[in-house]
Amino acid sequence: MAKTNKLSARKKDERAAAYIFTIPAIALLVAFLVVPMVYTVYYSVFKYQVMRPNDITFIGLANYQKLFKDPEFWKALRNTFYFTIIVVPVQCVLALALALLVSKRFRGVSIFRTMYFSPQLTSMVVISVLWTVLYNSNPNTGLINSILVSFGLQPINFLTNAKTAMNAIIFMSAWQGAGYQMMIFLAGLQGIPTEQYEASAVDGANKWQQFWNITIPNLKGTIKYVIMITMIQAMKLFTQPYVMTQGGPKNATKTMVYYIYTQGFQKGNFGYACSVAAVFFVIVVAMSLILQKITNAD
Amino acid sequence: MKKVISLLLASAMIVGLTACGGSNSGATSSAPADGQTAAQTTEAADGAVQITIWQPSDKESVENWWVDRLAEWNAEHPDIQVNREAIDRSDSYAYDNKVATAVTSNDLPDILFVDGPQVSYYAANEIIVPISDYFPDLDDFVPSTVAQCTYNDQLYAIAATESSVAFYYNKDMLKECGVDTDDLDSRTIDNPITWSEMTAIAEKCTTADHVGTHIVMDHGEGIPYALEPMYISEGKDYISADGTTAEGYVNSDEAVKTTAFLANFIAKGYANVDPITDEFLNKACATMIGGSWEVATLTANADFDWGVTYYPVADDTKKAVSPCGDWSAAITRDCEHVEEAGQFLQWLMNTENVASYAAAIAKPATRTSAYEDPAMAEYKNFPLSLLVEQLQNTAVPRPRTPSYATFSTDYAEAMTNIFAEAASEGTVDEAYIKELLDGVSEKFTEDYTTYYAE
Amino acid sequence: MKSKKGAAMLGKFLFYFGNTLIGIVFVSPLIWMISASFKPEAKIFANMNSLTTFLPTEPSLNNYIEVFRRINMANVFKNTLLYIALILIFDLIINSICGYALAKFEFRGRKLMLSFIVALMVLPMEAILLPLYIEMSQLGWVNTLQALVIPFIAKCFSIYMFYNFFHDIPDDLLEAAAIDGSSPVRTFFTIVMPISKTVYATVFILDFVAHWNDFMWPFLVMTGEDKRTIQLAVQSFFSTSPVHYSAIMAALVISAIPMIIMFIFMQKYYVEGIASSGIKG
Repeated sequence: MAKTNKLSARKKDERAAAYIFTIPAIALLVAFLVVPMVYTVYYSVFKYQVMRPNDITFIGLANYQKLFKDPEFWKALRNTFYFTIIVVPVQCVLALALALLVSKRFRGVSIFRTMYFSPQLTSMVVISVLWTVLYNSNPNTGLINSILVSFGLQPINFLTNAKTAMNAIIFMSAWQGAGYQMMIFLAGLQGIPTEQYEASAVDGANKWQQFWNITIPNLKGTIKYVIMITMIQAMKLFTQPYVMTQGGPKNATKTMVYYIYTQGFQKGNFGYACSVAAVFFVIVVAMSLILQKITNAD
Repeated sequence: MKKVISLLLASAMIVGLTACGGSNSGATSSAPADGQTAAQTTEAADGAVQITIWQPSDKESVENWWVDRLAEWNAEHPDIQVNREAIDRSDSYAYDNKVATAVTSNDLPDILFVDGPQVSYYAANEIIVPISDYFPDLDDFVPSTVAQCTYNDQLYAIAATESSVAFYYNKDMLKECGVDTDDLDSRTIDNPITWSEMTAIAEKCTTADHVGTHIVMDHGEGIPYALEPMYISEGKDYISADGTTAEGYVNSDEAVKTTAFLANFIAKGYANVDPITDEFLNKACATMIGGSWEVATLTANADFDWGVTYYPVADDTKKAVSPCGDWSAAITRDCEHVEEAGQFLQWLMNTENVASYAAAIAKPATRTSAYEDPAMAEYKNFPLSLLVEQLQNTAVPRPRTPSYATFSTDYAEAMTNIFAEAASEGTVDEAYIKELLDGVSEKFTEDYTTYYAE
Repeated sequence: MKSKKGAAMLGKFLFYFGNTLIGIVFVSPLIWMISASFKPEAKIFANMNSLTTFLPTEPSLNNYIEVFRRINMANVFKNTLLYIALILIFDLIINSICGYALAKFEFRGRKLMLSFIVALMVLPMEAILLPLYIEMSQLGWVNTLQALVIPFIAKCFSIYMFYNFFHDIPDDLLEAAAIDGSSPVRTFFTIVMPISKTVYATVFILDFVAHWNDFMWPFLVMTGEDKRTIQLAVQSFFSTSPVHYSAIMAALVISAIPMIIMFIFMQKYYVEGIASSGIKG
């Protein structure tokens, strides 16, 4: 009797603590993410040129009607998904491989970790400027093409050909982003009890078996998390096409966020940009909820 | 120890909560001290009028110029205190974004620097107000800048400096490739090189080591800016003179022909579709269509013999046209002391200031009288004299239309696609050019009718 | 015996060699940036067709001299570190307790909250810039420290990261503490936090880097040289037309130094995770 009392008292304690613990974060998220999002949805039913905030007209769903007939919108949506589907597996595998290389303690480990993480230490804008130069189509001025030519291959118009531009951005993004996910994998790897490895080594398991039987199962939560955040970051692709290709050639690298940004800011069609953003919100929110369902299923 | 940590954390949390909870009251404590940039707080404690200026930050010589000039003005006018905020912009659009953002909440400064072609956009949306009253006599200013800053017959902005574009060539390379550089050196404004001459030079100078020429390929405002004279020379501008339509202009037969002429350089490999920064300086191209600012860069850095001549003209018309336009100062609608701001602008744009500013920023001055100032002496000599000559005789401002921002973005995008297509296919497809330019025209019409048509 | 030792040596050599090779591929842009920062403008984009572009030709300190002349570095660093420190202090506390509650406490609305956080993770900043600015303006926060700090304290990514990590902490450990009479809140601060250094370090590094590279938001809400943050200062070199990359590269190198130091320093917390703290899963 006394014990159950104590237990339920603890449950009560826990519930009180739960609200104290969660309310600050939730309140801030509502104030600075949900409120702007609501604004966005609100403005999406207005004709609103960004330079004339005193002259906005309610136009109902006209922006949405326009949007569904807008080929650039659909193209941007397709590009965003294409980028995500390709970059996520590439980047996650790369990140895990890097993490495994530097998860153990050895002389100089922190130098190697810093090296792998270093693309994160420069802003994306600068990385993009540099890679634009590396990808330059003329072998006289582009490092990658000069290497291709020296091997007797044809130079490639990486960023100026609609067929290759997105793939070039994918490659660069995976390279740049892998260090980020590597850090998360490292945190996960630190959490695996060393005893498990020791025990299996005694049983005669080789490294490969250990990887599949110990590392992967223990990392399941981390892997799910990494896939999820990589996916979500991929959906927000913006800086690389903005700096490297301006969405071209032939809209091949125009992404949703890029489209929202150029419509809203550059061209000033703020009302329309809000409707694109609202549709994009619905899509990505639905996607991430489905994803969460799937990853929690097992 | 642990207790101390948890106590610390707990107190930090409380601070965090009150900081968010008391957001409204918290703002008042720090806002007055910091809020001087916004136009609302223009009255200082001693009753002096406060005028705030926004301008993109610039090189050291320009920053110093402002410090000195403003110190002088503020000392002489205790009742009108002027403060300039240098805005750091990451690219040509970032500054516009900041302005657009400030517009939504009436946070504009009193005086705003605006890039030339944006003047009509801002004026049509009433972001900036007419300043004709403060500049009744504009004869001293080059006609191009006055035209660019005028919208609906009212002057909305005023600039101290101008820009131009010309044809630069690497004499060493041209001689190696058998081009007569003496002929190029001897050209006059009445006898500039033609398109076919430019193509011939580019073809001759395309070798294994470098391409023949460089056409602006910055994906942004540089394309409409530097290439517009080609179109006007062939006979049709981008937009109608009244700024209401692009139909029959940017997608006219003349425009298609001009675009095809430009795309041909890319298709034939005479110019790079994605040139590196400073391509000409780095000897990766033999000639270039380049801005007036290149003179300073080349004088300081080039280790080869170079020359510059007038902007090329179309073969059939031989009509000489050159680009122009630069940042100009405007008074915003959020300004509560228009009279004082106008007075300040009058002073800012006097001959002496225009001359010293132009010298500091190394750009041609807008006032003709400024060239008599010793600070501008070098503009009397070649090559800078050539740019001034173009400005005074052949400069045409970019289209004056409230839909310029949309036009510029769409046109630059279309041109980038056309050039990319030419680069991948190796040929120029006029049907494709027509299709994309039609698209530019359509989007212009849509934007114009949505927001500005009566 | 001898050959075994030899094999081990060879293995070690290959391991280092491989790591170095991959490391070079990753670090090369940083090297290019550093080497460019010592070059005169005319040489930066020269030789882009050969590996010599990674070597500083005609090295000089001129670019650095220009950067220090144009930027009040002490002030810029102070501004940036202050606002990032404020964000991170609250970020680490508020997001970790939220993640912990979601992972370990039973309460009504837990599932809903979790879905809410996951759903919000996907909101791109670029799409809500303008509404967020309007909100700041209505609060009277434009051009104040609040606008830089408060909207960015709560982060769905961080909450989710903490949630995932705390989820894996064995319940036995918490039960044991509870039986000893520790309250849930106390258990968190005295038992859970000390063994979770790795995750705190990870969130710290990732968020520090993200904010250090922030440009657009500080650019929109802050005006005035005395309020410049590091990225604004770096970008000020892009303002001048024509853009000269020499000074930009020097500014970038300077701006990367604190991050590298921070990164190496924070790594200390990576060597001891749960594994070495005596808890078994």
